[in-house]
Amino acid sequence: MRTALLNSIGGVKTLSIVGMCKNAGKTTVLNWLLGQSHGRVLGLTSIGRDGESTDVVTGTEKPGIYVPEGTLIATAKDMLALSDVTQEIVYTTGIPTPLGEVVLVRARSAGNVQLAGPSITSQLKTVSDLFFSLGAKQAIIDGALGRKSLGARAVAEGVILCTGASYDMRMEKVVSDTADIFRIMSLKKAETVPAESEKPLGDVLKEHGEALIPGALTDAAVVPLLKSGVMRNVRLVVRDPSKVLLSPDTLEKLAIRNVALETVEAAKVLCVTVNPVSAYGWRFDADAFLKAMSAAVDAPVINVKEALL
Amino acid sequence: MISIRFDDQVKIGLKYVLDSLHVCSPFGQERVRKLRFYAPNERNELEIELGNTERAAAEADRLRALYEQIMLVLCQLKDIRGSLGRLSEGAVLDHVELFELKGFLLRIADLLPLYARMNEAVRVEGIAFFDPTDALDVLDPERTRSRGFYIPDGASETLKAIRAEKKRLEARLYAAPDAEKDAIKAERTRVCAEEETEERAIRKAMCSRLLPHVYEMLSDADAAGRLDLLIQKALFAKAYGGVRPRITESELTLVDMVNPELVDLLKAKGRAFVPVSITADRGATVITGANMGGKSVAMKTVALNALLMHAGFLVCAGSAAIPMFGSVRMLFDDAQSMQSGLSGFGSEIVRFNEALADVGQGYSLFLIDELARGTNPDEGAAIVQAVTRYLNGVNAISILATHYDGVAEHARFHYQIIGLKDIDPTAIRAELAAANEDGVAVIARHMNYGLYRVEGKADCPRDALNICRMLSLRPEILARIEEAYNP
Repeated sequence: MRTALLNSIGGVKTLSIVGMCKNAGKTTVLNWLLGQSHGRVLGLTSIGRDGESTDVVTGTEKPGIYVPEGTLIATAKDMLALSDVTQEIVYTTGIPTPLGEVVLVRARSAGNVQLAGPSITSQLKTVSDLFFSLGAKQAIIDGALGRKSLGARAVAEGVILCTGASYDMRMEKVVSDTADIFRIMSLKKAETVPAESEKPLGDVLKEHGEALIPGALTDAAVVPLLKSGVMRNVRLVVRDPSKVLLSPDTLEKLAIRNVALETVEAAKVLCVTVNPVSAYGWRFDADAFLKAMSAAVDAPVINVKEALL
Repeated sequence: MISIRFDDQVKIGLKYVLDSLHVCSPFGQERVRKLRFYAPNERNELEIELGNTERAAAEADRLRALYEQIMLVLCQLKDIRGSLGRLSEGAVLDHVELFELKGFLLRIADLLPLYARMNEAVRVEGIAFFDPTDALDVLDPERTRSRGFYIPDGASETLKAIRAEKKRLEARLYAAPDAEKDAIKAERTRVCAEEETEERAIRKAMCSRLLPHVYEMLSDADAAGRLDLLIQKALFAKAYGGVRPRITESELTLVDMVNPELVDLLKAKGRAFVPVSITADRGATVITGANMGGKSVAMKTVALNALLMHAGFLVCAGSAAIPMFGSVRMLFDDAQSMQSGLSGFGSEIVRFNEALADVGQGYSLFLIDELARGTNPDEGAAIVQAVTRYLNGVNAISILATHYDGVAEHARFHYQIIGLKDIDPTAIRAELAAANEDGVAVIARHMNYGLYRVEGKADCPRDALNICRMLSLRPEILARIEEAYNP
């Protein structure tokens, strides 16, 4: 399974690692990937600031990001002083952050780095393009948390979704919420995109049987149409998964009414990782957690505390 | 000193010209943002700049590809003056700052052969770059000339030893059993701290060796900005037909001048800007004509072209002779000060007084559009007549546009908008009858916005009457108007 997983991860140019919550095991996954690079040059950045050695919220010790020699890193200038790789500055991007301009550095030795990358998706795109032009084989983005991570597709083809006991004390809640995010993130990619229309959604659906949702898809827009019966055997296309703001209940009703929910920009969730140990003191039974999570999503699930160490 | 308010820059089309320039470097952009007008005591410098621009424009077609290559290098220059300032103050620059300095010097090195080729043809005066080799060798002692900045292991024996130790520990860390890892990590942290200390010492040494080159780098930044703007001035002159003006002692002559903003605006509407010619000298010049915009356009185009010369641009005209002015003042319709509470007329008088004080400083250009337009015709005419007589004695070329009677005979020069003077009203009436077109549009098309010099006493312009005839105003009314004209 590890080889199959590595192959599927290696098959995407740009990979985003996103978490359901802090301490879900994102950094463990990242370090594992960096350790598996075997001389392939990786480009590494983050959405905004991450990688503090102590978690600011919980005060727990967090693993640092340890990169192999040759890795390209895009991070804010002030973070360079906190990194201990031997640095070669290769590019200054002009992208501003509260911690200084984003700078591209080549690690001339292995070592610890602190990431604070761009926070706007277009800038992340710029940075990952720079990685490739400087010889990187793959770009890895240490991504956002929770719902915010749904926008990952704008920059990454593949996603690793990390979840863990830190999200909630109840395992069922962790599993079902993770599965919801997984489902929305894994929406089918629309093969054809319906034309944009100014008319009300109900009219468009009656006329064409499909519609492009220009902004967010909300319960307020969908529920009345479910009640009136228009919402049946139709196709809804959103720009990207982050635009779906429907409650789990509404999502289920759409599935029952045979409504296809699709997305223009689709990312593939390559795997889900679970961390049974919470930073807040409790822990789940590892096997039961792994089993429940595997049953809830259609993707490989691995335990960061075992499979990757 | 000439200083032009932002809204005047917009009104006369100077802003449009500046926006059309594609300056590439931060230094060139700063020169455009803080556009500098040469003062009368800088005539030699202005002649040098005009000569550079003229030669650069003359070669612009042949050297287009070379200019573009130079622009590409200029685009990559970053503003390193902040770091140079810190360097002068004795600060130790960090990796990123040293990277930027190296990048700057590499770009200057790229620029040198291109500029040398340009110079063979253009013979640019007064713009020169220093050879960056010595400064580059400080930042790139192994002469790799790679784009990145990296302190090589060989920078000091100590560093070499530290880096070797770091590598050794990393290899051990990779292979060691978990139980030993913490001890190796602690050892590695100590070595990393040593590396940082040694790198800082090396950066400090680099900085003190760069110190003697700070002046050169600042001078190169300035030269890059001048070259950047020079190329844009040349391309601008090619685009709008620039000519090198002769600098005179007092006389101003612009033959077939155009205003680029209006040229482009009219072109977009499928029409053409009619070039305007004018001669003026110390004292008052009055432009008269019916109220249809031609007078203001002529004045604004004079202001624009005079200012372009003072900024070292070629002038948008067939030929030009322009004196150097100590100040240029304009009094155009000013919506803003009307909003500030003063009445239109009151604010005009306040601004007129301010401008007169400025005009007193040295030979000036003073442009006044429809002074006292808001007052009743009798008083307005009396005011403008008095101002015109007064301006004859002021050390300035003053150009007034007015539609009041009895002003022109007090002026040293009198111009009138050609308008419909040479058009046969019957021909237009025929055209109007044939084409089922908007009459006003037809007349606008036939309107000649050019100027002609009126010698001696002028006839009263009859454009308003002509327009009434063309648009077939009722004959009984026309007859009464004609009666009033020739009592």
